[in-house]
Amino acid sequence: MNTNWEKTEKNTGILKVEVEAEKVTVALDKAFKKVVNKINVPGFRKGKVPRAIFDARFGVESLYQDAIDIILPDAYSQAIDESGIEPIDRPEIDIEQFEKGKTFIFTAKVEVKPEVELGAYKGLEVEEKDFSVSEEQVELELKSAQQRSAELISVEEGTAENGDTAVIDFTGYLEGEKFEGGEAENHQLELGSGQFIPGFEDQVVGMSAGEEKDIEVTFPEEYQAEELKGKDVVFKVKLHEIKRKNLPELDDEFAKDVSEFETLAEYKEDLKKNLEEAKEKEQQQYRESVVIEKAAANATVEIPEPMVKHEVDHMLQDFAYRLRMQGMEMEQYFQFSGQTEEQLREQMSEDGKKRVLNNLVLEAITIEEKIEVSDEALEEEFNKLAEQYQRSVEEMKEIYKSNGNDEALRKDLTIRKAIDLLVETSQWVPAAEEADTEEATESEEKSEA
Amino acid sequence: MKDPRDIIKRPIITEASSDLMENLKYTFEVDVNATKIDIKHAVQEIFKVKVKKVNTLNMPKKPKRYGRHSGYTSEWKKAYVTLTDDSKPLDFFETV
Repeated sequence: MNTNWEKTEKNTGILKVEVEAEKVTVALDKAFKKVVNKINVPGFRKGKVPRAIFDARFGVESLYQDAIDIILPDAYSQAIDESGIEPIDRPEIDIEQFEKGKTFIFTAKVEVKPEVELGAYKGLEVEEKDFSVSEEQVELELKSAQQRSAELISVEEGTAENGDTAVIDFTGYLEGEKFEGGEAENHQLELGSGQFIPGFEDQVVGMSAGEEKDIEVTFPEEYQAEELKGKDVVFKVKLHEIKRKNLPELDDEFAKDVSEFETLAEYKEDLKKNLEEAKEKEQQQYRESVVIEKAAANATVEIPEPMVKHEVDHMLQDFAYRLRMQGMEMEQYFQFSGQTEEQLREQMSEDGKKRVLNNLVLEAITIEEKIEVSDEALEEEFNKLAEQYQRSVEEMKEIYKSNGNDEALRKDLTIRKAIDLLVETSQWVPAAEEADTEEATESEEKSEA
Repeated sequence: MKDPRDIIKRPIITEASSDLMENLKYTFEVDVNATKIDIKHAVQEIFKVKVKKVNTLNMPKKPKRYGRHSGYTSEWKKAYVTLTDDSKPLDFFETV
């Protein structure tokens, strides 16, 4: 086999392939075997027509199309291997010569992965964000724990205050008439929660248990019920009970209740540790996404459309998969959101472009830096995965292999390494001010097991 | 004698007959009244080959009906013609 790769444009080229005549003959034989079962010749049972008679009747030419279909995919993929190019889309194939007993010549116009011109990617100066954990944050966390474990206690004396929960009966009158949905008994209303229309809760404040009161309010203009929009109404309200949140004291006792720690100090320490861990993760992610973005911005690549399309396809699939996990089908989603598939694609293409760019750049870096993943490291990763999914290592490998992903994992790992390298070599400058939160691009997609 | 092309009517090409061709045995439909000698000469004349022997048999007529009309298919004569061992195969058969 003879292959010749010639670049015509930046990312496209023409691959010219010559296949030996013997292979053509073999392909013709195969094609004949396939076709012979479908043709009818009087005097012969189906599939029993001798080759000579077939050729005389239908001509060898009738086999060409089938033979090409047989020979081409193999020849094409072999040619790709030989020439070492990485096509990203289906090729445009042109048959130049196909005849019995002659070499088979075809050309394929293919779009290949673009070459990445890397800019600076090591020693990048990147602004660091503040990810340290402050006392206030711990305090805040503690407060919310306190809120969570608060008990509601009935208050006998005094009046309702903001933050209390009031148990009320109410009946609403619109121009002297009751209206739908304006009536309830023993409704628990947290004052100041904004659950009811504005003005209502404020007027409950100050009432005492057992008191009855008429509350006059105006429905807001953008209320969901058409007939109530902007209307003045009167609610007859009876307050049964006032419940007040009883916040537990922040002491060792409290710590014992909500955690396995003996003292408040220990509990605080633990909260801080958890926060720090979360922050650390956040920082790692932030750093990764920022360096990748920077490196990508420094590189020059022409992103070919088909790659973006592939990526968007992938994202759509992923999206559909996640929807299905929630028990929704794609069609339902489109109906529900009023979006068409095109619109969704449009939306995703920006993101997809970014991902493609990032991947291309990272790949280029792995090549530039000669980053490789040894078999042992791969083995280790498999072990980790196996542990994560509670399967045996062999099973894990089997799964990956059946998905055709065993090499993809290795690729994932090399890309990880490249990211680590980026992060390590970058210089982190403390941010002067609160930097704009940049959208974290997912640097790497975990292949689904 | 009759014209050789009136004696030999058509070749018979079927699975069975194409198997026989390997042994230089060719099958024809021939005139019902033709003799083995006639057939031999006719084949030699048309294909320019040497004939070793001829076997013949009469294919019987068969009753056929088409709605309420009944009748028979024609009788015909089939001939197996064996060429001499040193003959070349007839490529006529392959190209029909």
